[in-house]
Amino acid sequence: MIEIKNLHAKVAGREILKGINLNVKAGEVHAIMGPNGSGKSTLAQVLSGHPAYEVTDGHVLFEGQDLLDMEPEKRAHAGVFLAFQYPVEIPGVSNSYFLKAGLNEIRKSRGEEELDSMQFLKLLKEKMKIVEMDSSFINRPVNEGFSGGEKKRNEILQMAVLEPKLAILDETDSGLDIDALKIVAEGVNKLKSPKNATIVVTHYQRLLNYIVPDFVHVLVNGRIVKSGGKELALELEANGYDFIKEELLQSV
Amino acid sequence: MSEVKNHYVSEFQTFEKNGANKAPAWVHDVRKNALSVFNELGFPTTKQEDWKYTNVTPIAKGSFKYSSAPVQIGPDVVKSFLVEGTDQFVMTFVNGHLAPEHSQLSGIPNGIVVSNLIGAYSGHGNIIREYLSKYVKHQKNPFTALNTAFINDGAFVHVPANVAVEKPIHLLFISTKKESDQIASHIRNLIVVEEGAKVNFVVSYRSVGDHTNLTNVVTEIVAKKNSLVEVVKVQKENESAFHVENLHAHQHETSDVRIFSLAIGGAIARNDMSVIIDGEAAECNLNGLYIVTGEQLIDHHTFMHHIHPNCPSHELFKGILTDHGRAVFNGKVYVEPEAQKTDSKQTNRNLLLSDTAIVDTKPELEIFADDVKCTHGAAVGGMNESHSFYLKTRGITEESAKGILTVGFAAEATAKIVHPALRHHVDLMVVDHLRSKLGTANLPDIVHA
Ligand SMILES: Nc1ncnc2c1ncn2[C@@H]1O[C@H](COP(=O)(O)OP(=O)(O)OP(=O)(O)O)[C@@H](O)[C@H]1O
Ligand SMILES: [Mg+2]
Repeated sequence: MIEIKNLHAKVAGREILKGINLNVKAGEVHAIMGPNGSGKSTLAQVLSGHPAYEVTDGHVLFEGQDLLDMEPEKRAHAGVFLAFQYPVEIPGVSNSYFLKAGLNEIRKSRGEEELDSMQFLKLLKEKMKIVEMDSSFINRPVNEGFSGGEKKRNEILQMAVLEPKLAILDETDSGLDIDALKIVAEGVNKLKSPKNATIVVTHYQRLLNYIVPDFVHVLVNGRIVKSGGKELALELEANGYDFIKEELLQSV
Repeated sequence: MSEVKNHYVSEFQTFEKNGANKAPAWVHDVRKNALSVFNELGFPTTKQEDWKYTNVTPIAKGSFKYSSAPVQIGPDVVKSFLVEGTDQFVMTFVNGHLAPEHSQLSGIPNGIVVSNLIGAYSGHGNIIREYLSKYVKHQKNPFTALNTAFINDGAFVHVPANVAVEKPIHLLFISTKKESDQIASHIRNLIVVEEGAKVNFVVSYRSVGDHTNLTNVVTEIVAKKNSLVEVVKVQKENESAFHVENLHAHQHETSDVRIFSLAIGGAIARNDMSVIIDGEAAECNLNGLYIVTGEQLIDHHTFMHHIHPNCPSHELFKGILTDHGRAVFNGKVYVEPEAQKTDSKQTNRNLLLSDTAIVDTKPELEIFADDVKCTHGAAVGGMNESHSFYLKTRGITEESAKGILTVGFAAEATAKIVHPALRHHVDLMVVDHLRSKLGTANLPDIVHA
C-alpha cells in the first residue's frame, strides 16, 4: 500500500528524517516507537503533506502513486488519514459541518454522490457509537474546549467517517484514560479490514495489547534502527531504548 | 477649506430656520457654540496624529445637506434589518428623522423611556439637559462639533433604577436617497441607565439604495452604579456611504458595560469608542469585528480610561481584510495613578486575505499606576498554516479551508456578544457578508462553544 524509500526531510533548516525505509501492505498494522524528538510526528506530517516540512531526498509510493507530489487534500482523497498528536481547535465551525465538508470532497473525488444533511447525520450518529461519543459533540465547534481525550476520540471519529485506506495514528493513546483507550482501540479494530492498513505511533506497549501490531519499528534520530514483531514492544517496555542505542554503538 | 466651512455655516442657517426649532433654547446655545468650534477646527487632516491613516477629504469635499423631510421606505426592507426570531422594541429613523410607522414601541413597561430626542424634551428635559454633551467633548473632534452644531434628532433612552428591560431595544438608523441630494444625518443618541438597571441594545446603521450619504453620529451612554448595559453596533451602510461615530460610555462604580462593534459597511467609516471607567470595580468589555473589502476603509479608535482601582477592561478587535481594503485600529489605554489593580487587556488581530490590503494597528498604553496588569498585543497575518493543513488532511480544498477558517476567525470575536439573539443576528450578518464578498457560497454557519 505504501512504500517509503530513503526518506529525508528537513524542518526549520534542520534535518529530522535521515533515510526512512518502510513498507506497509494492506491488512497490516505497523507500530512505530521511539524516544521523544526522534522524528515520529515528522514522518506522519511529511506523509500527510505538511508544507513546513521539506523533503530533501527519497520517495514515497502510495498505491503506486507518487505521494509526495500530491497536495494534502489530494492525499486525503486518495485515502491517507492522519490522527494528529495535537489536533487544532477551530472556533466557530461545527464538527459536523467540517466533517461533512471533508467527506463530501472525498466522495466527489471518487465520483460518488455527495451526502445531504440527513444522510450525513445518520452516518455520523452511527460512527459516533463506535467511539462512544455523545451527540452533543455534533454541533460543537471543532475541538474547541474539548478535553485532551475528547480530541483524540474526535480524531478517531473522523477516521471512522472518512474510512481511509491508510490511517496514521500519532500518539492517539496519549491523554486517554483506561476506558477511553479501550474504546478508541476497539474503534480502530472495528474499522480494520484486509483492504486498509494502520500505522500506530505510540510510546506505550499498553495500546498494542488492544491494537495488535504485525510489525514494530523503532525510530531513533531520524532512522528506523530496529524492526521486529509485537514482542519487540514488550522488550522496549522492559528495557527502554538504551539497549538499542547500545546495540547501535556496538555495531559501529 | 473655507469653502467647506461656508457650506456648513449656510447649512446651519437653513437648519436653524426649518425644523430645528423644536428644541429648547439651551440646545440652540449648545449648537451655536459647537458651530464656532467646528469653524475653528475645520475637518481633520492626515497631519493630525488621530487622523494619520484616515483621510477624510472625500467627506470634507462633499456638500452634504440636512434633510428636513422624511423619505418613505417599504416595511419589508425595515423588517429585513431586524433581529431574527426574537421580540424587540424597535425605534426607526430615516435620514435622521423618527419613522413612527416603522417603529414598534408598544408594550414598553411604565417608567422606561424609549423616545426620539425631540419628543423627549418636554417630559424629560432635565435628564437630557444634565447629560447631553456632558461627557462627550466636541472641542477637539470636528465631527463631534459638527454633530453638536446640528443636534436635532436621535434616540433617547432612560432606564430607571433596578429595572431590567426584558427585550432588546433596537435603534435602527436607515439612510436613503432623497432626490439628488447627498444627505447628512447628524444623529444624536443619549442613553441613561440608572442604578442597578439592565438593558441590551442593538444599534443598526443600514442603507436603502447605493447613494453617498454622510452619517455622523454621537452616542452618549451613562451607566450608573451596578447597572448592566450591552450595546451591539451593526454598521452596514452601503459602500459609498461615509460613517462617523463618536460613541462614549461613562461608567459608574460596579457597572458592567459591553460594547461590540460590527463594522462592515461604508466607503469610509470611523469609529471613536471611548469608555471612561469612573467608579471602582466597574468592568468594561469593548470588542469588535471589521471586514474590509473592495476599497473600504474602516477605522476604530478606542480609548479606555481607568480612573479608579480594581477595574477590569477587555478589548478584542478582529479584522478581516481583502482586495484593497484598509483598516485602522488605534487602541489607547490610559491608567491614572489612582487606578491600582487595573486589569486591562487589549488585543487586535488581523487576517489578511490579499497582498493589497493594508492595516495600521497601534496600541497606546499610558500607565501611571504601579500595581496593574496591562497587556496588549497586535497581530497581522495570513491564514494559519497548521489550521489550514488540518482541514486539508480531511479532504477539504484550499478554497473551502480558507472560507472555514475565515468564519472561525470571525466567530472568536462575535463570541464576545453576550445576548444570544443579538450574537446570532451578528453571526448571520457576518457569514452572509463573507459569502457575498469572498465569493464562497459554501461557508458554514457560525456555532459557539
Ligand atoms: N515545525 C517545526 N519547527 C521546528 N522544529 C521542529 C518542527 N517540527 C518538529 N521539529 C523538531 O524535530 C524533531 C522531531 O520532532 P517530532 O515531533 O517528529 O518528534 P517525535 O518523535 O514525534 O517526538 P514525541 O515522542 O515527543 O512526540 C524535534 O527536535 C522537534 O523539535
Ligand atoms: Mg510526536
